[in-house]
Formats: sequence, C-alpha cells, structure tokens
Amino acid sequence: MFLDPDSKWAQRLNPVLFLLPALTIYIVFAIYPTYSVIEYSFTDWDGISPEREFIGWANYQRLFSDKIFWEAFRNTFVWSGVIIVINVGLGLVIAAMLARVWKARLLIQTCIVLPVVISPMAVATIWRWMYQPTGVINQVLESIGLGGFATPWLGSPDVVLYALALAHSWSTIGLSVIIFLAGLQAVDEDLYEAARVDGANALQQFRFVTMPALRPVTAVVFILTLTQSFKVFDIVWATTQGGPIRFSEILSTYMYKRGALENQYGYGSAIGVSLLVIVSIATIVYMQIQNKEDR
Amino acid sequence: MRINLVAAAALSASTVFSGAAIAQTEVVVWVAGEPGQTTIYDELAEAFNAANADATITVVKNSSDLFNPALIPALSAGEGPDLFTFGTGPGQPAALIAGGLVADLTGAYYEHSWGDTIPEGIIVQTSSDGKLWAFGNEVETTGMFYNKAIFAENGIEVPTTWAEMEAAVAVLQAAGYDTPIGLGAADKWPVSHWQSMMFGRYAGPDGIEEVLFGDGAWTDDAFVAASAKLQEMGQAGWFGATPVAIGYGELMDRFWAGEVPMTFTGPWVIGGGIEAAGDRISDYSVFAVPPFEDGQSIHPTNSIGSGWYIREGSEAADVAIRFLNSMFLETEGRVALLNAGTIPVGPLDAALADANMSQLAVDIWKTSDDHAANGTVPAFLDTITPGSLTTVSYDGLQALLLDVMTPEEFTAEMQSAWSAAKAAGEIMLPGGLAEQ
Repeated sequence: MFLDPDSKWAQRLNPVLFLLPALTIYIVFAIYPTYSVIEYSFTDWDGISPEREFIGWANYQRLFSDKIFWEAFRNTFVWSGVIIVINVGLGLVIAAMLARVWKARLLIQTCIVLPVVISPMAVATIWRWMYQPTGVINQVLESIGLGGFATPWLGSPDVVLYALALAHSWSTIGLSVIIFLAGLQAVDEDLYEAARVDGANALQQFRFVTMPALRPVTAVVFILTLTQSFKVFDIVWATTQGGPIRFSEILSTYMYKRGALENQYGYGSAIGVSLLVIVSIATIVYMQIQNKEDR
Repeated sequence: MRINLVAAAALSASTVFSGAAIAQTEVVVWVAGEPGQTTIYDELAEAFNAANADATITVVKNSSDLFNPALIPALSAGEGPDLFTFGTGPGQPAALIAGGLVADLTGAYYEHSWGDTIPEGIIVQTSSDGKLWAFGNEVETTGMFYNKAIFAENGIEVPTTWAEMEAAVAVLQAAGYDTPIGLGAADKWPVSHWQSMMFGRYAGPDGIEEVLFGDGAWTDDAFVAASAKLQEMGQAGWFGATPVAIGYGELMDRFWAGEVPMTFTGPWVIGGGIEAAGDRISDYSVFAVPPFEDGQSIHPTNSIGSGWYIREGSEAADVAIRFLNSMFLETEGRVALLNAGTIPVGPLDAALADANMSQLAVDIWKTSDDHAANGTVPAFLDTITPGSLTTVSYDGLQALLLDVMTPEEFTAEMQSAWSAAKAAGEIMLPGGLAEQ
C-alpha cells in the first residue's frame, strides 16, 4: 500500500510531492496565463467575441510598421536605463555609505526603504501633486533662487519621462539598497583592512573591494530592477496616461491602450509577448557578460 | 407541553415560510465612480430595496479608466454585472452587441412604454438593427462655468460675442490670472469636451451626423477650422502656459478656490463644487461660449453619454428592468436624480415641481435650453466613437495644444482611425426600432 521510504521510487517521488502545491500554483497563475497571451497574440480577437480568428504572425508583422510601438519601445529603454542607473548605481553607493554609518543608520535606512511599501497608486498621486506647475517642487526651486529650473514636469515632452522615472526610482531604490546592504555584510572586513594597509583611500576601497565583492549581488539587483522597470504601468498611467501626447508612453501602457481600451486583445498580446522577449534577451545578455567577466 | 410543541412547530413553520417569502433576487449594478464614494445610484438602490422585499440592488463602483477593461472580461466570462452603464452611439457598444453580451431590450421598451419618456433622438443612439440595446437614461450638457466675483471685480460682463470673449480674457490676463480658462489637459479627456463643442459649432448638428452615420469625414473644412481655433486659443495662453501639465482634479481645485476664472465642464462637477466652495458657491454661474465666428449659431451640447445595459442571460433581468423604471420613469426617482444634478430623459414637468435643484444646475440647463432650438450636438464625442479614435483624438488634442501638430494633421489622423474602425466593422449602423 505505502512505498518503503528507503525505496528508489519513494526517494524520487518525495521531492515531487513537496513541489507539487507550489508547482500547481505556478502553472495555473504564471505558466498558463503566459501561454494564453502567446496564443492570443496569433489571433485577431476583440476580447468579447467567443471566436478568435487565427492570423499567424500578422500581429507581429504589424508591430514592425507601427510607429507608436517603436516610440513606446524607445521610451521603455530610456525609462529602464534611467531607473537602472539610479537603482543599481546610486543604490550601491548609498548602501556602501550606509554600511559605514553607525549613528542614525536605522533611521536613514527606514527613510530610504519606507517608499517601497507605499502602494504604487499612492506614489503616483504624491508625485503627480508635487510635479504640478504650482506644486511643491517648483515652489521649493523658486524659494531657493533656482526658479530657472522650475518646469511643467508632467507637461514637458523633454522632461516627463525622466521625471516619472525619478518618481519610480524613489519608490523602489530602497529594495536595491537593502539587497546591497545584505551583500555587504558578507564582505570580509579583512579585505578592507588589507586595502587600507596598501594605502587605498575610501574611493579605491569601493572600486577594488566593494564592487568586485558585490558582483553577484549586483547581478541580482540589476535583473530585478530591469524586469521591474519594464513591467511598470501604474505610476505612468495614474500620472500622464502616456502623455503629453505619447512622450511617456511605454510598452506596458501602450499594450493596455491597444488591448484593454481599444479591444484589440490579439495585438495587445503581441505587444506583451514582445515585452517578454525583450526582457528575457536583456537578462540573458547581462548574465552572459557577467559570466564572461567572472571567468 | 402539547401547546408548547404546537407553538414550536408553528414558529418553525413560520420561520421556514417567512424565509421563503423573503427570498431575494440580487441585481449587481456597475456604475462609474470611485470605490467608497456615494452616488445618487446608491441612494436610489437603497430606496428600491426598502420598497421591494423580493429584490436587492447592489451597486458597485469602478473608476472610469478601469471600468471598461474590467467589464469586458467579466461579461465575457458570463460573470459580469446584471445591469451596467456603458458608452452609447455608433462606436463603443458595437462589439458588445456583436458578441452577444447584452440583452435585447426591445420587448421591455414596448411592455413598459419607455417610448413615452425616452425621446426618438436617444433611441437612435441606443439601438441598431431595429433592436434596443440600452436604456438612454440621462441628458448631459457642458457649459462655461465662471466665477462671477472675479468677473465683477474686473468689470467683465458675460460675453455674448467672440470679440467680448477675447476682451474678457485679455482683461483677466492683465489682472494677473495666468490661466483665464482652466483646462486640466494632463488628463486628456477634458480637452475632448472643447473638441466636441467646437466641432459641433463649426459643423452644426447635420455636419456631425453626416460623419457619424453618413459619408462625411473628420477632414472636412469645419473640423479643420475648429481644430485651428482651439490651437489658436492655446497659443494665445487662454488655457495658461502649460495646460497639458495640469490634471483635471488639480484644475478644479484651483477653480473652486477662486484662482481660475473659467472652465468648460458639465453638471457632474456641481456636487464637488458645493462641497469645495461652501458659501461661495453663489459666486459661480454658467454661460454659453459665444459663437466663434460671425454668423455661427450656438448649438448646445446635449447627449446621453452612456446608457444602461442588461447582461445577456442575467437571471435578474426582470428586477433590473423594474429598477430602471423606478429610477427613470417614476417621479420619486426622477426628483432624486434632479436634486443630484442629473437630468433624466423625457418631460421634466412633474419632477421639476418637486425637485430642489442647485442654482448652478438650473443655470447650466437654462443655458442649454436657451439655444436648444438651434439644434444640439454631442457633448462627448469620445464616448460615442470607437476606442481607437478616442486614443488618437486624445493624443492629437494635446499635440495641438503643444503646437507640435497642425489642425490638418490632427483631423487626418482622426479620419484614418475612423476609416479603419469602419472597415473593421466597429461602428454601429444607424439606429431606430422596428415597430411591434
């Protein structure tokens, strides 16, 4: 009736049984929806009709001639680039500095991490209010004699994408800092001691000790930031809906407009699949570079 | 003991039978609104529930930009609301009807004599192929809301000609009002109110009808001229230096705070205005934007925007129809709607006698009524045209205001989206009901 726990079968079956609940959830809520989106992307479907017409690669061919898709594509890369520079670059610097601060460290750390737990819609509301032409940012700039930098942040085509990326980074950089800080705990203090004996200053210690030691952690933060930034939707939608015109249109907002608002679920799915492919390629390329450098 | 047993049996039986007597049919109703916010429909549902022991109306609110994306999958899954509001006209409901997701209301129309209340013009926008698909419930309009106190302070009379309008804006700009007319264009849709009104003024009701249901095109001269005028007003700073940087909510806050003298909007802002301005609400009134060109008539914006649909296959369809009747046909419901600033369709005489409308609501409807004889035009082109055209219009209107697109390019993009939607069969055929 029951398998002998020491039997070959039991040893093979046990791990599978333990994995089964999580695997079932993953298949139902991640794999199956992803498969459905890929399937929809080969159809002409309005999301309403019970019939979905199979149209092969037509939606993907349409992407190549859709100028708005390419605008959103370019914006998404700029958006992700800015967020990666801030969250990975600045996040690492902040973590390295925090690791050397003992007084008020907890307070500073809490301040940096707090925005991570604020809901994205609340973040969008806060920044939308601050970015108004008469909002607090312009008021502060004017009060400190920097009125020349005051600008209609969400209404300026040249500025809006960077302004929103900054707002997104404000709400997510705390996670990068925490991961980097955890990584820093594992760096052997003797390495810093040795560097100091060799005459390395703080900057050189950061460059030649901290950065190499954190290479695996940096890879994790990079990939997390990259995937997170590509799938951002809420902050852009709740502030500008991709505007003014389409200057803050990113692939996720464009997918939503075409798919959910215009009932072109087939085409919207094709945009979603392209987003998946782009993120996957970027992640693989980064991992390859990392592996090459490690070797 | 025996008496006790009989009493217990009787009690049990009465409990069972009373339980059966109060078996209720639930009608789930979706309306646009913020979750947690109370709307007039909550109040009407409460009154209906109190008067109908066999029914429970549950009102669910979804914010307007998430409403349609949530509704479509819910209906497709057969689990959507029993009763819901949705766009009307030739654009938006075509896919719902073609997909068989909404119930045919033609039978109810004749059974409950809806024709005595709902005007023919509204039936045209809610029917196709001789069948009625939506209950066109309320009339919406738009007008220029203004701050009487600011006007009086600066010696400005309500403008009745375009020259007077230009003079009024010039005086306000000179007085330091950087935004004489608030727009809130960061949200895109408020600009489409201007677009609908100006397209209607330049093309007239027939010109609009010709595009929506005939062979007219958005590239016709009237629409190019209207777009050019809007761009010209933007360039002259009428909407402030950066209209596309300010959201509608923030703009309305400034308007009710007395920082912005005018804004073109509709009666849905009145409730919030009364809350925000308090006693100063009497400082506000409404006027009709004067004709933009010599010889042009004022055509009030007047349309239903959205209508009420019943989900195909809903087991609560009968109760949903009773609820519609109680809201829009019975005097109590119509009075409640009027008091909330919502104008139900059809003759208002009976309801107006009992209603206690705010002065601002009276003002905006008087403005509309004063010119109604000239013919009315749709107030919200964005809700009656297909979503693809709405996207193009929203982006294009911002582009006009930012001066990065010409009126010709804007109207050409609109026409391109409209033609594509027509070719894809996303546009309803002209409405009208088959006689029964």
